[in-house]
Amino acid sequence: MGSGHWSTDVYSARRSYRAANGVSAFAYSDGGATTVHSDLDPNGVALRESRDSDDHPESLAIAVLFDVTGSMGGVPRVLQTKLPDLLGLLLRKGYAADPHILFGAVGDATCDRAPLQIGQFEADNRMDDDLAKILLEGGGGGQMRESYELAMYFMARHTAIDCFEKRGRRGYLFMIGDELAYPKIKRREIAKFIGTDVPADIPIADLVRELQRMWDVYFIIPEGGYHSGDPKLRGFWRDLLGQNVLYLDDLDAVCETIALTVGLGEDAIDLAEGLDHLAESGSTAGDSVSRALARLDGGRAPAATSPAPPGLDRPTTARTTRL
Amino acid sequence: MIGADNVIVVDLGFGDAGKGTVVDHLCAASPVHAVVRFNGGAQAAHNVVAVDGRHHTFAQFGSGTFTPGVRTHLSRFMLVDPLALAAEADHLREVGVGDALDRLTVDGDALLTTPYHRAAGRARERARGADRHGSCGMGVGETASYALAHEDAPRAGDCRSPARLRRRLAALREWCLDAFPAAPADVPAVDDCAAAFTAFAERVRVVDGGHLRTLLAAGPVVFEGAQGVLLDEWHGFHPYTTWSTTTFGNAEALLREAGGGAARLGVVRAYATRHGPGPFVTEDAVLTRELPEPHNGTGPWQGPFRAGHLDAVALRYAREVTGGVDGVAVTHLDVAGARPDLRVCHAYDVGGRTVRRLAPNPPGRLDLQEDLTRRLLAARPLYAPLARPDEAVEEALRAPVVLRSFGPTTADKRTAEPAAA
Repeated sequence: MGSGHWSTDVYSARRSYRAANGVSAFAYSDGGATTVHSDLDPNGVALRESRDSDDHPESLAIAVLFDVTGSMGGVPRVLQTKLPDLLGLLLRKGYAADPHILFGAVGDATCDRAPLQIGQFEADNRMDDDLAKILLEGGGGGQMRESYELAMYFMARHTAIDCFEKRGRRGYLFMIGDELAYPKIKRREIAKFIGTDVPADIPIADLVRELQRMWDVYFIIPEGGYHSGDPKLRGFWRDLLGQNVLYLDDLDAVCETIALTVGLGEDAIDLAEGLDHLAESGSTAGDSVSRALARLDGGRAPAATSPAPPGLDRPTTARTTRL
Repeated sequence: MIGADNVIVVDLGFGDAGKGTVVDHLCAASPVHAVVRFNGGAQAAHNVVAVDGRHHTFAQFGSGTFTPGVRTHLSRFMLVDPLALAAEADHLREVGVGDALDRLTVDGDALLTTPYHRAAGRARERARGADRHGSCGMGVGETASYALAHEDAPRAGDCRSPARLRRRLAALREWCLDAFPAAPADVPAVDDCAAAFTAFAERVRVVDGGHLRTLLAAGPVVFEGAQGVLLDEWHGFHPYTTWSTTTFGNAEALLREAGGGAARLGVVRAYATRHGPGPFVTEDAVLTRELPEPHNGTGPWQGPFRAGHLDAVALRYAREVTGGVDGVAVTHLDVAGARPDLRVCHAYDVGGRTVRRLAPNPPGRLDLQEDLTRRLLAARPLYAPLARPDEAVEEALRAPVVLRSFGPTTADKRTAEPAAA
């Protein structure tokens, strides 16, 4: 009981919330940790599993792996704050009945302390706890490469997902960053970081083909990274993933982009509907999302077999703003 | 039952019995993962004194916050005041708890208390003049009543959608200035309020309704009630009530959704108190004057802090409207031990009739509750000597006393497991 014990002033409240001490959604990393948290260490992990349960009979595996080095260090913090939006959209609008989300972080196996961190598939806010344990490297190698190939190897051979095994539906794998992968998955690094023995190095194109049997693989390039505008980057990922390379001009829209991509992939919506849902939910990410996804949406239109008209790379948005 | 996994802590009187100190003890004495608030809002004032003397009045953070790692979750039944929350977090930082906001989650569906509700509430209470209901002046009641009439009342989740937040705050400010021309015109501009609320959502984790299941899976959870059963919106003595369900109901609704259970722990002082106006049959001016009350004084909105004798009739009523408790915590036994003049009221005299039981009315019949209030205002207490307050409480509540408190800190608590559960 009692009475207004604490003062209520809009200006001091705002200052207080904005005060610099407010970062520690990443308590583990911000607390000075220098090694991968044991819960996220892939070493010795046989499988990360996404399984159906009574609560979640229609599980759908969604994995989000991001670069935590250099200019991409802000990605996990954005993901963390936007996470409820992502889940809310997926669930409320029925894009997916029972999404299971796994987070992971990618570094550089040649020089970082944490080249790969992998959480668990979670159906609820426990994924937040995984995010909180991620070690944010900051550093980065400077050679414009991160070990995405190691992460993709793990996803290809160390995951088991019921949506695929029971229903033949692929899971969704999103990688977020502004760098290239190394051209081969090195046998030595697999042994060192994941703890399994393979007979030889694996070329990345072979691995991507293997990975795409079970996963729909997307690469999201947020604007504002060191290398985001580099044509080499675009070319590298487009050769591997085709149209599934998404350019995002506003990192804050990353969760919405993921949610709508899943909605499109699950045939739950078309892009216009998805953008309406965003507007409805008060999201201001619509423009960025529509620019990022226009090509995907086009790819889902009834197969018109004429060659693509020039200028398709810069789609104009046909979106009514309702805010 | 203190060893039970989850515990719901509810005050069986008019509030101020010591829920905070009990919750602090539960969190200090055994591993507790989180404290969940399930009613009321920022007007709660649960005083906790740490063993090393640090003191904090918990309003929105759970009273277990002095114990490192214990989280706070504000459920959808809580009325969240982001401005007061910032000030409270600042004070916690001053007393050495720097990560309170990091340990906090807020359900996106929780209603928000804003400066506009506060202005409206104070204008309304001012208009009542001498006939005040005992509002805390925080706008908590206005938050609840506005939401009943307006679907677009702002909620915590809106703080993550700036455009919608501004729309809803603008509508609310408009309503406040329309309905209360006398309200101070200096209520903050919508943009300023929205900026503070947006900063709140950037700093604090806003979660969905499924979060409680996660908390329950991670470890024992303590549900911390606010106010007291005798102030309940339906069972309290209308109109001297609060806009909130103060029984175990909300906590148990949350547990049903999340698929968990909890023991019910009632909290009672060894004597009675009431902060603010309204019926208080066992009030005693001598006790009001002489009993120490370090953290409660006369508030500008709430009125005086009053003290009186243990009221078995009121306790029986609390037992009936809540459906009973599994155990009781009796507090302020140190104060009671020093006052041989404390008594227990076993019945009321109402116009020459002896009343031992107040029959509960069906919920929602505020007219009947108002009749009850009138009878109570005319009631005189019939006293018996009080040998052992805890025995009197056990008898009235038909439940064992499992925790005895002889002072403000967790070191002053003694647990007693019932001989036979």
